[in-house]
Amino acid sequence: MGNKQTTFRDEQFEAYQDCTFFTRKEILRLHGRYRELAPHLVPLDYTNDPDIKLPLTLLINMPELKENPFRDRIVQTFSEDGQGNLSFNDFVDMFSALCESSSRELKTIYAFKIYDFNRDNFICKEDMEKTINKLTKGELTPEEVTLVCDKAIEEADLDGDSKLSFADFENMISKAPDFLSTFHVRI
Amino acid sequence: MTHYSNGAFYNPAYHDSETLELDRRSPRKPHHSNPYAQEEPAWQAGRANVFPTVTGQWGHSDDSAWRVPWEGGQEEESRWGRERLPTGHLPTHPQSPPWQQAAPTNMTMRWRGMRRMSMFVNGEPTHLSITEDAIRNELEQEEQNLVKDLVACSTKDRIQGIKELPMSYEEKKHIRSQVLAFKSSKKSRHLSCFADCSDNVSLSFRRCGSSMASTRQTLELWQGTMKEIGGRFGTSVLSYFLFLKSLFMLNIFSFLINFGFITIPMLAYNQIPQNVTFRGLELLTGAGYFNYTVMYYGSYGSDIIKGLLDYNMQLAYFFTIAAYMVLCGASIIYSMASSFKTNYVLSDPVAGGSWQLLCSWDFSVTNEKAVRQRKNNLRVQLKETLSEKTQGEGLTTAERMKHFGVQLGAWFISTSLAVGCGSAIYFLSQYEQRQTTDTDNWSLLQEAETLLVPFVVSLINLVVPLFYSLFNKFELYSNQRRQIYALIFRNVLLKMSILGILCYYWMKEVATKFSCWESMVGQALYRLVIVDFFFLMLGSFFGEFLSNVIGTRWLPRLGVPEFDVARNVLDLIYAQTLAWIGIYFSPLLPVIQIIKFFILFYLKKVSLMQNCQPPRRVGRAAQMRTIFIALLFFPSFVGSLSMMAYTFWSLTPSKHCGPFQGLNNTFSIVGLWVTDLEGISTASWVVWIYQNVIRSEIFYFLVTIIILFITFIFWQVTQGRKLLILLLRQQIINEGKDKTFLLEKLQTLQKSQPNNKSKTQIKQSKRRSDGSSSGVRSNSNAMVQTFLAGQQDSRGNYFCDVPVPSDISTSYQRIPIASDRQSSSNALALARQRAEVQDYRTPSTLASPLVQVMQARQDYERQADAMDDGSSSMSNIMMQVMEARMRAEEGYGVQGRPVATESSVPARSSALIQAMLARQQSQNEYDDGY
Repeated sequence: MGNKQTTFRDEQFEAYQDCTFFTRKEILRLHGRYRELAPHLVPLDYTNDPDIKLPLTLLINMPELKENPFRDRIVQTFSEDGQGNLSFNDFVDMFSALCESSSRELKTIYAFKIYDFNRDNFICKEDMEKTINKLTKGELTPEEVTLVCDKAIEEADLDGDSKLSFADFENMISKAPDFLSTFHVRI
Repeated sequence: MTHYSNGAFYNPAYHDSETLELDRRSPRKPHHSNPYAQEEPAWQAGRANVFPTVTGQWGHSDDSAWRVPWEGGQEEESRWGRERLPTGHLPTHPQSPPWQQAAPTNMTMRWRGMRRMSMFVNGEPTHLSITEDAIRNELEQEEQNLVKDLVACSTKDRIQGIKELPMSYEEKKHIRSQVLAFKSSKKSRHLSCFADCSDNVSLSFRRCGSSMASTRQTLELWQGTMKEIGGRFGTSVLSYFLFLKSLFMLNIFSFLINFGFITIPMLAYNQIPQNVTFRGLELLTGAGYFNYTVMYYGSYGSDIIKGLLDYNMQLAYFFTIAAYMVLCGASIIYSMASSFKTNYVLSDPVAGGSWQLLCSWDFSVTNEKAVRQRKNNLRVQLKETLSEKTQGEGLTTAERMKHFGVQLGAWFISTSLAVGCGSAIYFLSQYEQRQTTDTDNWSLLQEAETLLVPFVVSLINLVVPLFYSLFNKFELYSNQRRQIYALIFRNVLLKMSILGILCYYWMKEVATKFSCWESMVGQALYRLVIVDFFFLMLGSFFGEFLSNVIGTRWLPRLGVPEFDVARNVLDLIYAQTLAWIGIYFSPLLPVIQIIKFFILFYLKKVSLMQNCQPPRRVGRAAQMRTIFIALLFFPSFVGSLSMMAYTFWSLTPSKHCGPFQGLNNTFSIVGLWVTDLEGISTASWVVWIYQNVIRSEIFYFLVTIIILFITFIFWQVTQGRKLLILLLRQQIINEGKDKTFLLEKLQTLQKSQPNNKSKTQIKQSKRRSDGSSSGVRSNSNAMVQTFLAGQQDSRGNYFCDVPVPSDISTSYQRIPIASDRQSSSNALALARQRAEVQDYRTPSTLASPLVQVMQARQDYERQADAMDDGSSSMSNIMMQVMEARMRAEEGYGVQGRPVATESSVPARSSALIQAMLARQQSQNEYDDGY
């Protein structure tokens, strides 16, 4: 119990509970996980909101993310600066969006951002090719990748601009019932 | 492409409208701190500076134009101000069609949050530096709206709303603190004790709720194991374990209520006869010693237990079982309906490839080997789809006939197998029945003989499904899903025919032969449950361990087996059906079930980890889950419920044992109870309900009619929604077509003037050094802007038939804003545009306004070049284009809202008039100039 009091203040807990999908216990566990990544950098005492950010290279070595082909993108998407440096708050935010109880809309928004590699607010062919290469270890020939991309975009592109806008993406997600359960990282 | 999101901020007029809007609002809310209070006069001054040449006429038009939105009402206006925000992320959303505005506020909040984020992430530093103020104002304005929306929500909605904002944590916290501050300031204004109290109460409720959530998480069973399985095998295999866990929980619940309401009172009252010895075999057969324990129906007495309170055993027994079944049914129906809603109704029946790419990656998989394998599988799958694509579906008629014949044969064989198994079991049971006698003291051999039927049943359940899955090798289904469905259907048919036959045998023969037949049925079910458990273990040995050994040692061609989710889940459903059937005959059967499932969980886990590889095919796991729940409901739960109902209503309980001895049927206990109650005046409502609801045909008739009626209405609603979805989809497609058309048009226009761009760029750089006002934009940016305008125009037109030229003209009325020196060139361009408005009647009326705007721009540039007008004309063009856009947006923004439409009509017509005047004026000037 002593541990609980020194790590966060009650107001902080309340704020976390109001702003994320986590309970008090989970916040503490997340803090433990965060601290585990860099024990010398992250203090146990978070009552005065220390401004500490962990770099991408540390974060993507978490067991939850280590094998994920999109790990860099996930971390970058949730970082304030887009470079992948996460403060503890960003860290909590990331797992909150990826947790079981977060809503379909929220997950869709973040999934779109993750797949949008060049951040132009469209999933264009280039993004799609990157996705495929990440998913297949780059073992498809460039022609095959192009074919698959074209087919996928053609299928999902409703407005015919040969790239996927958020609306297209959302529409596609709504047809994929598995999305909610697969876009989910257990912590 | 990213930076256009901030486009409208460059327009001073735009900000005028925003600040004024706030001005209007601030007196209404004195406590609301207006961050613009200081800036507002500056803006006003700026505006005066910008339009030094505004004539009386123009001033008038200006005002009328500004005022339009306010007349739409305060609420409308604030919404309008927000919806109009152009964004990079969602070019289709800023101006939403009318029905979107009726969408729940949560949704709009989310959109807005998203915009904020997109601005932060994508905003380019150069732009930020230029219009830092503008952007900041914009954001604050948006934030205020958001906070206001959140304050208006109920506490629960508010928290949910904050949680679902797609912003970073810091921003969410900021919003939250603002909301809280706003609320407290409001509270201090009207200090009412009630509000205070209710707030406190809701706060304490929330605290309680969150602490309960914490406890629930602590009690969460097998969390680490679940994570491990999900991490190695993905969601589809995990769904088996989740299913197992939910059945486990269901059984714990049923055990708790059975034990609490039936067994404990019984134990407190009755003693077990001591003269029976425990022989060990009972653990398997459930006979002998167990017959005298509270395990079975027969040992429960029918008496009313006297004590502090009278406890009527008969009623307790009846109502506990009935309540349990009702609760089970309700929970299954609920989970089935919700899962059906999310997984079936929304999903597309046509299997697509693109969602597999983007949505199928399982983020929960964390095991390196599993990830590698998954990637391989995905690659193979993609290649397959590609080859299918190139091959096409060239099946000859002969081949098709052959496939059809094979399938028909397989169906025939499987159905006859199921029927054969059923009849075999029936004859076997009859044989067994002849052997057994209605005595208490069986010899060990006699007792062991009773295991024959359960053994055969379980053997059939183990072997025949394996045989069925052999069919897969011969049958060639075009679609893998259909194959799985066929397999599931055959297995269910087999299991249900066996259980049906057994139930028939128990109801017809056992019920008439034995003196305490309920206990006999309970024993039979006990044996089935136990033997089934052993066979499940054997099944995982044969199904997984052996095939792993074969696959790795002897026949590498077969490979490491996959975990067969469908077969295993069907086994679970079968086991649960047994438990449901048995709950009346053996109230403590759930104990056995709990132990069984608990061991099974670890057994399957170990077997999975040791023997199996992740499934090769992914996808549709969620739909399979829905099917499993549906199967659990339909043949399994409904079947056992109907059997129980038959027992309650039609069978005579045994005369000498059990709680219902001496009654004609079980249900008549309710009648007896109600006649007892008739004497008590306080319970008259129970009597009334019994007489007028339970026993009246007219009630059921009415209920049926009402349910049919409601079903019909909902069906109609569904049809309507389907139509609406089609229309909406069509609309998206139409918009896309418009966009492509415009793109082409733009490109052809650009080609026709190849040297424009370089000059523009030179001018731009000049202008930048000037540091002149708003229009510092790149050429392409302007185009994008125009696009946006066009897009919105076209959408606006789609919904409401607005005369197109009026908008164009409104856009031109702002031209004289510019300085004197430029006005001549403006006028020139205007004249040209006018001419072109007539010339360029493009086939697509929707697209015409935009094309015209672009034409205008092109012409401007040409004019500017010709006249060698220098830097200012370009900025002018930019202004104009943006003005056009603003105007168009305003026009349609107002149009989109039915309430505001009326007020905007005169404004628009006046704008038209002014535009015509402007044209005249410009022509005059043009004449003067030349």
